[in-house]
Amino acid sequence: MVLPLLIVGVSIIVFALTRIGGSPIGIYLSHEMNAEEVAELEERFHLNDPVPVQYYYWASGVLTGDLGWSGVAAAPVTDVFPNKLAATMELAVASAIVAVALGVGLGTFAGARRDRAPDHITRVVAISGAAMPLFWFAILMLIVFWVGLGWFPIGRSDPEIFASIAHPTGLYTVDAILAGSWTAFRDAFWHLVLPAVTLGYGATAIIARMMRSSLVEELQEDYVDAARAKGLAERLVLRRHARRNALIPTVTVIGLSFGFLLQGTVVAEIIFRWPGLGRWMADSVLRGDQATIMAYVLFTSVLFLFVNLVVDVIYAYLDRRVVLGS
Amino acid sequence: MTTGTKGATRWRWLAMLLAFAMVAAACTNADDEGGDTTAPSDDGTTATTSGGGGGDTTEPPSDGDTTEPPSDGEIKNPDLLVHAADDEPLSLDPAGVEPGEGGETVILQVYERLLEIGIEGPDLVPGLATEVPSVDNGLISEDGLTYTFPIREGVTFHDGTDLTAEDVKYSWDRVMTMSLPESAADVLNDIVAETRVVDDYTFEVDLQVASAAFLNTAVVAMVSSIVSQDAVEANGGIIEGEFNEFMQGDMVGTGAYALTAWNRGENIQMEVFDGYWGTPANLDVRIDIGSTPDIRVLGLRAGDYDTIEADPSFIDDIRGAEGVTIFGEGLTVEPIHVGFNLNIPEGVLPDGDTIPTDFFHDARVRQAFNHAFDYEAFVNGALGGFGDYNPHYIPQGIFGYDPDAPVYDAADPDRAVELLTEAGYCPDGFTVSVITEEANLFAVAALVLKDSMERLPCNITIDVLAVAEAQFDDAHAQDPIEYAMWVKNADPFADPHSYMSSYQHPDGEWGEVHGFANGYSDPELIGELIDAAEVELDRTERAAIYSELQNLLYEDPMWLIAGQEGVVAAYRDWVQGWTANPLWPRPSLKFALMDK
Repeated sequence: MVLPLLIVGVSIIVFALTRIGGSPIGIYLSHEMNAEEVAELEERFHLNDPVPVQYYYWASGVLTGDLGWSGVAAAPVTDVFPNKLAATMELAVASAIVAVALGVGLGTFAGARRDRAPDHITRVVAISGAAMPLFWFAILMLIVFWVGLGWFPIGRSDPEIFASIAHPTGLYTVDAILAGSWTAFRDAFWHLVLPAVTLGYGATAIIARMMRSSLVEELQEDYVDAARAKGLAERLVLRRHARRNALIPTVTVIGLSFGFLLQGTVVAEIIFRWPGLGRWMADSVLRGDQATIMAYVLFTSVLFLFVNLVVDVIYAYLDRRVVLGS
Repeated sequence: MTTGTKGATRWRWLAMLLAFAMVAAACTNADDEGGDTTAPSDDGTTATTSGGGGGDTTEPPSDGDTTEPPSDGEIKNPDLLVHAADDEPLSLDPAGVEPGEGGETVILQVYERLLEIGIEGPDLVPGLATEVPSVDNGLISEDGLTYTFPIREGVTFHDGTDLTAEDVKYSWDRVMTMSLPESAADVLNDIVAETRVVDDYTFEVDLQVASAAFLNTAVVAMVSSIVSQDAVEANGGIIEGEFNEFMQGDMVGTGAYALTAWNRGENIQMEVFDGYWGTPANLDVRIDIGSTPDIRVLGLRAGDYDTIEADPSFIDDIRGAEGVTIFGEGLTVEPIHVGFNLNIPEGVLPDGDTIPTDFFHDARVRQAFNHAFDYEAFVNGALGGFGDYNPHYIPQGIFGYDPDAPVYDAADPDRAVELLTEAGYCPDGFTVSVITEEANLFAVAALVLKDSMERLPCNITIDVLAVAEAQFDDAHAQDPIEYAMWVKNADPFADPHSYMSSYQHPDGEWGEVHGFANGYSDPELIGELIDAAEVELDRTERAAIYSELQNLLYEDPMWLIAGQEGVVAAYRDWVQGWTANPLWPRPSLKFALMDK
């Protein structure tokens, strides 16, 4: 019962915010328009009606799957949203893979060589990812790997190759695999490398630091001494025992880092011309495309509510002392 | 131990496999690009820069830009022209596109109009009509009210249907019926009285009043593009006051290019239309959308982009790049100006503004602003020399521009102080705000205005309010405007009447909102002259009227014209046939003329 009420509450707040922050028809205005033309637009979008009536129009549209017309994309929001979301999720997941691989790898490498030169160097490398502004690092990557070496392209795909396969999931890499097209998979992978590495590198530092400190702690535990005492090779002590335990707190940090990666996609998408939600939203905010902004905020709000619901359910599953609904 | 060894071996094999896959992919990728290599460019590798204002200079070849991947003579994507654009279109429908918006770029390539603006200059050439109407050839009636257009035979739309006069009438009537406020429907609605089909290949228009501006203003405008009646009727038809969802993103025209795909946020793809009636285009085109300026410059240097949308602020980043040509000739016809509000209601100005509501009613105040502005700083600084500080209310390059008319082209702070003292605003001074869009040339012009005024010994403060584009458009569309000054550019027009009637007529679109009648010493005379010029069909007489107007407006300025921006663009040397005409929608290019 609570969830639907929360969703209605969120929708009212979202709607109210868009009526406060600039003209709801900002996207359609130009500096050459006169007041009469603006009035015609306001009438078309029901802005002359009382706000509750405007909310009714919008909410009834949402309930019937009509989130309005995206001026920035020149198409219905519902037509564009799934593809943009898929593009963003693909980039975020790829970045997360890079961040986890680098973070866990570097953290393990450094933790196993505590206070020695490799430890210091590794920490500098990891922290530099967080220290460099994403927009600056992204441009740097493009100058080196796109313009200079010509190894990686910009954008999400080669349009011809992209058009040559079906896109049932919207995730280009997955669709390429489903279509059995090595050419398309290679195209998807090659376009994904630069933005994913750039974005993932930024999230590497926190994962690497957590992994390193956890590993250092674990390596001081008695069970590690016991493993060494029974003659187990140091490599196996590290892999089988210490690293496995050190991963537990690191996994928590990885989960939190995914939020950072989703935020970072906005900048990465703009610079790498990645056609995802972040770039779409940035354009919409700057150009006053309220229908898109409302859809995005509503989506993220409802998603947040559902995620919290799922977390509550998991808590109840993991800890029997928690009883839902009581 | 055995398990550990097996696991390690498995991981090693996996790592090797992955490494092999990546190397293989990289090699295949390189092969793809290498396979596209064709003959070397005819243009060589010299980057040529032409300075604004007429002075051309040639830069020496780059002396060591090592970040250029394509070797000399290697052409990337030889069968495809890739253009990097700024904004994504809001609409591809001629009946819905905003003037100056990204959709006009695509409409110019895919649709055609009865007449077109020629490659060189402002002269009109036949398009879908076979002749340019004139009184001499009998296609304009003696009273100037009826225009006849013989329609070209043998023209087919991209959907295979034939063009007839019915399509022409349908297209124009559609615009006027839909009459979307965001479009330029007014250019037809304000002048056209009736349209009719005489026969399959003859179309006639009756005007409400005789107008010397009709052909240049209405017929060549993107809003007057000819669409396929069959395609529109099959996809929603015409509904008064509502846009057509199909036409927003699909195009069925007669142009040298057919739209093949619009991937939102990524690109617009056009292919050469094999059934084109005229000279066919050479290359398919892809317009990459939404690159930031930095990325456009990098893409040009990388050779992935053949042409880019540029402005003077780009030039330093491109100058010296190997294989890149910088174009900087001619002037755009969109003067950047500071507008004065002579219709300020009580109590609406931003907090801190101390001017009275009739501040700009006094011509001496408006003249003082014009005398104080540092034109040289704006043109040589913000515009990088790509522009001219010798503009007028009719821009250079447009019929009616009088090069002998007086202009404010050099800062004269002493005269500005004199005028402000006479008007009673110096030395006590004032504070006034100017609103503008953020992060573009308009904002820079506002800052130059601030510096120019605040250096006067008059205790003046200019607050620059730089806001997002949507916020500026919202503020500027208010009636009355709640700011005393704003900075923007004029829309590009091909006829002087559009500039005069829209922006300077006391009863015109802006004159009424901005209260110009409160400031002109003789508003009736200004209005009568503008009206007379509109209907004067004798070009000499018409030019004389505009000359008189420009002299009057020097004494009675309603704007401060900061500068006329130069046409600036950059393209790879391997692009041939690159031609820009500032009267075509930005970026002022017809891709069909280009080859590689």
